[in-house]
Amino acid sequence: MRPSILAVAAVAATSLTLGACGTGDAGESSGGNAGSLQTGPGVDASSKRIRVGDLNALSGPAAALGKPVAAGHQAYFDALNARGGIDGWKIELAVEDTGYQPQQHVQAYNALKGDIAILNSFGSPTTKAIQPKFQREKLVTVPASFDSIWGTDPTLAPVGTPYSIDVANALDYVTKGGSEKLKVGIIYQNDEYGTDGLRGFEAAQRALGFTDAGRQSYKPGDSDFTAQVQKLKAAGAEAVVLTALPSATGPIVGTAATLGYTPQWILQGPSYIEQLITKDGTVGAEPTPVAAALKGAIVTSFSAPWGDEKAPGMKQMLADQKRFAPDQPPSIYFALAYAQGKVVEQILRKAIASGDVSRGGILAAKENLGEVDLGGITPAVTYTSEGGPPSRQTLITEVDPKVPGFLKVIESDHASDVADAVDISG
Amino acid sequence: MTEFLQLLFQGVSLGATYALVALGFAVVYRSSGVINFAQGAMLLLGAYATSWLAVDVGLAFGLAVLVAMVALALAGAGLHAVVLRRVTGQPTFVLVMITIGAGIAVTSGVEAAFGPDRRLLGDPWGSSSFEVGGVTINSVKAWGIAVTTVALAAYFAFDRYTRWGLAMQATAADEEATLSVGVPVRLVHAGTWAMAGGLATLGGLFLAGFPGAPQPTLGDAALRAFPAIVLGGLGSPVGAVVGGVLIGVTEVLTSGYAPDSLGTNFSAVAPYVAMIAILLVRPYGLFGVRPAERI
Amino acid sequence: MRGRAVLVAVVLAALVLPFQLGTSALTTATFVVIAAIGATGLNVLTGYAGQISLGHAFFLAVGAYTGAKLGADAGWSAALWIPAAGVVAGVCGALVGPVALRLTGLYLAIVTLALVFIGQHVFFNVESLTGGPQGRSFAPVVLGPFDFSAGQVLRVGSLEIDHNGLYYYLALALLAAATAFAWNVRRTRSGRAMVAVRERELAATVIGVDVRRVKIAAFTASAFLAGVSGALYASYLSFAQPGEWSLLLSIQFVAAVIVGGMGTVAGPLLGSAVVFALPTVLKNLPLVPDEAAGGVSVSDLSSIAYGLLIVAFLVLEPRGLVGLVHKPKEAHS
Repeated sequence: MRPSILAVAAVAATSLTLGACGTGDAGESSGGNAGSLQTGPGVDASSKRIRVGDLNALSGPAAALGKPVAAGHQAYFDALNARGGIDGWKIELAVEDTGYQPQQHVQAYNALKGDIAILNSFGSPTTKAIQPKFQREKLVTVPASFDSIWGTDPTLAPVGTPYSIDVANALDYVTKGGSEKLKVGIIYQNDEYGTDGLRGFEAAQRALGFTDAGRQSYKPGDSDFTAQVQKLKAAGAEAVVLTALPSATGPIVGTAATLGYTPQWILQGPSYIEQLITKDGTVGAEPTPVAAALKGAIVTSFSAPWGDEKAPGMKQMLADQKRFAPDQPPSIYFALAYAQGKVVEQILRKAIASGDVSRGGILAAKENLGEVDLGGITPAVTYTSEGGPPSRQTLITEVDPKVPGFLKVIESDHASDVADAVDISG
Repeated sequence: MTEFLQLLFQGVSLGATYALVALGFAVVYRSSGVINFAQGAMLLLGAYATSWLAVDVGLAFGLAVLVAMVALALAGAGLHAVVLRRVTGQPTFVLVMITIGAGIAVTSGVEAAFGPDRRLLGDPWGSSSFEVGGVTINSVKAWGIAVTTVALAAYFAFDRYTRWGLAMQATAADEEATLSVGVPVRLVHAGTWAMAGGLATLGGLFLAGFPGAPQPTLGDAALRAFPAIVLGGLGSPVGAVVGGVLIGVTEVLTSGYAPDSLGTNFSAVAPYVAMIAILLVRPYGLFGVRPAERI
Repeated sequence: MRGRAVLVAVVLAALVLPFQLGTSALTTATFVVIAAIGATGLNVLTGYAGQISLGHAFFLAVGAYTGAKLGADAGWSAALWIPAAGVVAGVCGALVGPVALRLTGLYLAIVTLALVFIGQHVFFNVESLTGGPQGRSFAPVVLGPFDFSAGQVLRVGSLEIDHNGLYYYLALALLAAATAFAWNVRRTRSGRAMVAVRERELAATVIGVDVRRVKIAAFTASAFLAGVSGALYASYLSFAQPGEWSLLLSIQFVAAVIVGGMGTVAGPLLGSAVVFALPTVLKNLPLVPDEAAGGVSVSDLSSIAYGLLIVAFLVLEPRGLVGLVHKPKEAHS
């Protein structure tokens, strides 16, 4: 019976090889012309719908951040559609959970890419894994992540200050421009994200001249941090930068407390989440065991404090949140994602106005967008064809368990020579 | 010296928890010859049950722990009665695979019900601590060591001096002979699973104590306790306890003193390295015995 | 006669399958076929020789990184790096074999578990090979004029085969070879020696089986196929972190072998189809309409269903899927 399988296989194989002598390019996928409008993948001119991909971390070690981000995107587009969309065009969000795993991110990207016009992508290591792909396909991507190198890729539209610059600014603030000679250490997540924090730490160390008390790393998913904390304690670090995820921040700060070690913590944005302070992230709820150790920690935040009346866009955001995401507790990630929604809207609006919503048209719209005002929810961003970071200023806050969101603004736009000197070319 | 004592304390505290976990493995293995891969899920479930009862239901913490222990004991016995009893006589791997499947379902079930974030445990200790000779002692860790010691003493007294303990030992030694003298072997099996559930609750509880928290990855600790049961010898309760403490101390001391050249977080695999070294010398562990084989 | 007809039908169905599936279903099918190669290997070790191993993921990783070093970094042709991945992994398997001689049953299972953990530790720390914790990208298969990268298509007359289809057919061909190999092993002296070791090691020694040689051979063959499977898997994924080669991956292979039916030729194929396709299928069922709105996550629900299905299935049919089709006598022989 075996010869017959072989025969079948052989026939099949020959027919394949005879038919072609190699592979070729697939050619550009479904573009079209609808009236005066040039369309591309993910754009349905007949029903006036544009599909936006959203690769998010709804499970895994970053789920606590991914969920409010997904909710922020959803609420923004729901609200936008309810207001009539972009000149009648409705936005449809295609959400996929990739669990903060690059390999899953790649899979989900491959499945989605043929039918989306623009992409939101959560996380640094994950976005890094698909970067060559969206570059090749000219798919404009808004990363929920602030790696320095994002600024150098024209297809990316980061919303916010790069991590390395945030760390440099925070260290400039803590050491009072280098006049205080502190011993400073860092604990970073050993991947794209953490490495970028380390880049800022190194640049700041060179420029400010503080004593390097050690650089400790861990990998996502680790749960025991005794070693890292013990080494920094032994080195006598007076301030410690954390470039981590909240799932690690709690145990790290807690472990330090169990070892009787209380340095000045400097939490880089994604290390912080409101639920580190109280049970559900609202003021007055039951405090967590690490809340006490975190009081007074410096946090480089992404967005204006929840409910900040000085931000003109805040009122609209809270109204939309109330209507479309009523269960959402205060979250800097929700606010960030909401601001990202605004960026996506502005890019698409410009592309539609120019009559070209193909991949190339959307990319051109992004590169020529100029400054986008985000209503003060996050600092305004500027996109030009020259790239570079959209912002070099840092929002420096301090943990205060009494205010909503638990972050008290110290300086809303701290800039420094150190941060300007950070080389962000990757 | 203070640093060493501090790490030693942390190690013993972690080791005590591993001992509880490993004992859970050992009692089940001794009675049914199965390594219960769902033990990690039971730890997780125990910690979440306690947290839910104490924080959401509002029971006093001690009561919450007792109720959770009973619930987990029932769950363990239930797993045996509903599932495993039906497949007695099948190859061991099939049974092991079933515990793996159950573990996956329970772990995801907990995450689905409670979400991926860290929760409050609802314990009275929180982050409180005191100092002894420069060593910071966390209340929750001190309680962990104390409670574990009591639980272990209770278990060994039970095993040695009660009819049930005797029945368990007899079942482990020769199931058919035990059955023939009128011991309800099935009930004994269910009893060992119930005991594993109760032990898992205590283990999970102290794993989730400060600076830990009830979170979905809590059950991974059971994987780190595997070397403990192999070190001690599968199915040897004494070995499990000794192995557990050894592994805990090894893990924490390596995390403090391992040179960077061994790589980041070498401490996480140090127990496995130690295990392999010991197995190459003693293939049945420190306290295990080579089963006699008839041809 | 009937067996032969079924076989031809199955092969034909496998050949036309890519044209019946959408992109995402084809992706899943390709993963299944790639995994089935590895499962066939594990079946030789566990099903035939009775040695339980939770270390399969380690051998997949060895294959994957061998492929990456030779393919992506050194620029070799896939015609070389795919077999090389198998050979290097096979050598690692041969090295583990002697350890297995001293250990039996679940002791062996836990020691092979150590292989996964220690292996992962090494992979996380050897950045030049694995990219460290952030992972690395893997080269697409390139065989002469055939380029398997995303975006390439093979046109045969009016038919178009995209890169998913190309990987599918390559994996299918390798799987056919692996299955033929396993089927042959069963009928030979060494296959019978393996079964003797599985049934009773001491008795096998008494009747003159060289247990040492048999175990090492089983580990080598199993690791070889794991290496090939791993190299293809990583190349098809195109990017992987060391965390990919985890205990969970090992468990999926063990599950595939047990669910399919241990010690049978068709078992690992059926088992892989169930174990490796099920999570995706479950995830795509409309269980929860809107997870972004704060509902229960779909991946959690699919994991629950996955775990429960394994339990339920093994309770109802401990002999595996093959047991459903065949009479007990055939399933065990």
